[in-house]
Amino acid sequence: MRPLTRSLLCTFLAAGLIQTVPALAADAETDALLLESSPEAVPEAVRDTRLFVEGMVGTAGQRYLPGNRDLWRGSLDFSHTARLGSGWRAVISDRLDRIYPTDPGVDSTVNSLREAYLSWQPKSANAVMELGRVNLRYGPGYGYNPTDFFRDGSLRTLTSANPFALRENRLGTVMLRGQGLWTGGSLSVAYAPKMADRPSPDGWNLDLGSTNNRDRALIALNTQFSQSVSTQLLAYKEVDMSPALGASLTALLSDAAVAHLEWSRGSEPDLLSRALALPGDADARNRFAGGITYTTLGKLSITAEYQYNGFALSQSDWAALGTTAPATQMVYLREAQRRQELASREAYLIYISQKSLFLKNLDLTAFLRVNAGDHSQLAWVELRHHWPSFDLAFQLQQHIGDRASEYGVLPDRSVAQVLGIYYF
Amino acid sequence: MTKKVPPVFMNSRVLSFALFVLGPSLAWAAPSAKEILAASDAIRNPGRPFSVTVTLTEFQAGKQVDTSTLVSYSRTQPQSGQFASLIRFVLPARDAGKLMLKNGNDLWFYDPASKASVRLSPQQRLLGQASNGDVTTVNLAKDYRATLLGEEEIQDGERRKRKAYKLGLTALSPDVTYASIDMWVDVENNRPLKARFFAESSRLLKTAYYRRFQPQLGAVRPTETVIIDGLNPQSVTLMRFSDYVARTIPETWMQRDFLPRFQPE
Repeated sequence: MRPLTRSLLCTFLAAGLIQTVPALAADAETDALLLESSPEAVPEAVRDTRLFVEGMVGTAGQRYLPGNRDLWRGSLDFSHTARLGSGWRAVISDRLDRIYPTDPGVDSTVNSLREAYLSWQPKSANAVMELGRVNLRYGPGYGYNPTDFFRDGSLRTLTSANPFALRENRLGTVMLRGQGLWTGGSLSVAYAPKMADRPSPDGWNLDLGSTNNRDRALIALNTQFSQSVSTQLLAYKEVDMSPALGASLTALLSDAAVAHLEWSRGSEPDLLSRALALPGDADARNRFAGGITYTTLGKLSITAEYQYNGFALSQSDWAALGTTAPATQMVYLREAQRRQELASREAYLIYISQKSLFLKNLDLTAFLRVNAGDHSQLAWVELRHHWPSFDLAFQLQQHIGDRASEYGVLPDRSVAQVLGIYYF
Repeated sequence: MTKKVPPVFMNSRVLSFALFVLGPSLAWAAPSAKEILAASDAIRNPGRPFSVTVTLTEFQAGKQVDTSTLVSYSRTQPQSGQFASLIRFVLPARDAGKLMLKNGNDLWFYDPASKASVRLSPQQRLLGQASNGDVTTVNLAKDYRATLLGEEEIQDGERRKRKAYKLGLTALSPDVTYASIDMWVDVENNRPLKARFFAESSRLLKTAYYRRFQPQLGAVRPTETVIIDGLNPQSVTLMRFSDYVARTIPETWMQRDFLPRFQPE
């Protein structure tokens, strides 16, 4: 083909394409205009009640014993809000878990009454009063929340290592709470009295001994400085302890990036003294979590978080504990878990979520916790597919590290489980 | 001898005079681009606080792949003149009770199960279906400079030919979701008919058709929006609006700390 003919042909083809592409787009638009909506749902009937059942089967690879051990769990999760008129509401939220296997002395059937309270909002809607078991949670941190002052003892059952899923099982604290709201801010005051001495191993007990075993009070001031920055200041006091202070901040850094910071300072015994019930001195120390979340246009969100707990064992103290009294390492880790505390002085968290991975309704969530002292790691990954009323998930968890490390000392080396959740 | 004024010159002088005298009143008579846009905003959105049920139906290549329902509680913020919205997810059951707050760039997602309020970046919010509300519940006249580009005959959402003003909208600040918008507004009644939403890179993000106009809260408003993905025209979302209700929605509700307490009647 001669050059002139070839270039003429190319020109015609290009001109043809330029004409065709808008025509195709116009065809697609005309096709779109032929589509019909789904019938409208009747939200009134469904919006006040939430109910789902969840089943899990799994296996755990053991570190100290040969072979694997089987795991299974069945759960029923229910919450409901009843409107009583004149701004009054009653809220109830409950979860029933049947778990196998369980730790010695712990019931295999555990009922967690997470919330049961009365709420009143006057017509002006600038105030809220609540009385009963309320799940009051603070802090923007992903994996560690120093300003979440009502977190200790609030987890009755551990069904996931995912910090977000863990919070779903959390027990509320019985309290009287008032909140005043104004444009761009609010002030909340809560008082939680002592109602029992110690936690109950009875699966059907309300377990007020876990959440209300001492008198406590919290004041929280929320201020929005601009559309990009908001803060919370908190003051917390419990009986026989010095007041603790906390602050948190979230900021929009760009179209795709958000930062969060969370800090608290209090005077209390260190975590090991608490774990071993030793009369430790109360020292003033800090707790901190700070991170950045970045989201790509490809539906991938990545969070990197640094965590610090001044009350936790330093790496050298942890190593010394492993040498002198290795059994106490597990006691210490259990106490850290019960209090939802960071067991190491410093740690890192990488949290990733990818929506629509290959398929529209397939989501990937994964995180990696790293102990900054001994470099042991907890890796967790979940693939979850959604159908209209059903979720199917596969989870894999790996504890990586040598035997003297935080994650390497745990009795399970790995956990694999399949979950099915049906939403009514 | 008097110089004869050529008729053409005389005519132009008369015309200039006429334009000088009548010009302002002619300009007064023809609506400005900003006025057209504001009138079109007022048709899409009630001027008082309201709630509306939104049914979203997603299609891929003409096949329905997903459906969801949410209720949006919106009010105009006195300082910005812009809409703030609290969106409560209703269906599917998995998402029931979850909330999203949009007050300008103050974006929060609240999950009642984990009690977690998470600040979102605008890009993070664009991943979800709630962001499609931006093509509907927004006062464009507040955030964009409008230019009248002319009049065109276009196909509307009901596939009928309509004569429309074509408006070119450019963002007044970088904070808004879309850098520029092409908007077609019915010349007869200022109804929004169609819009194309562009990113800063001039990439087409969405095309929207407003249709099924019905009387709702004191005006004839579009009760369905067809949203066609800019990159993949085979990806289409229909947003059906029903149950418009005028409500008392205090400004104090539009903040993060109220999300755990939000229990609308």
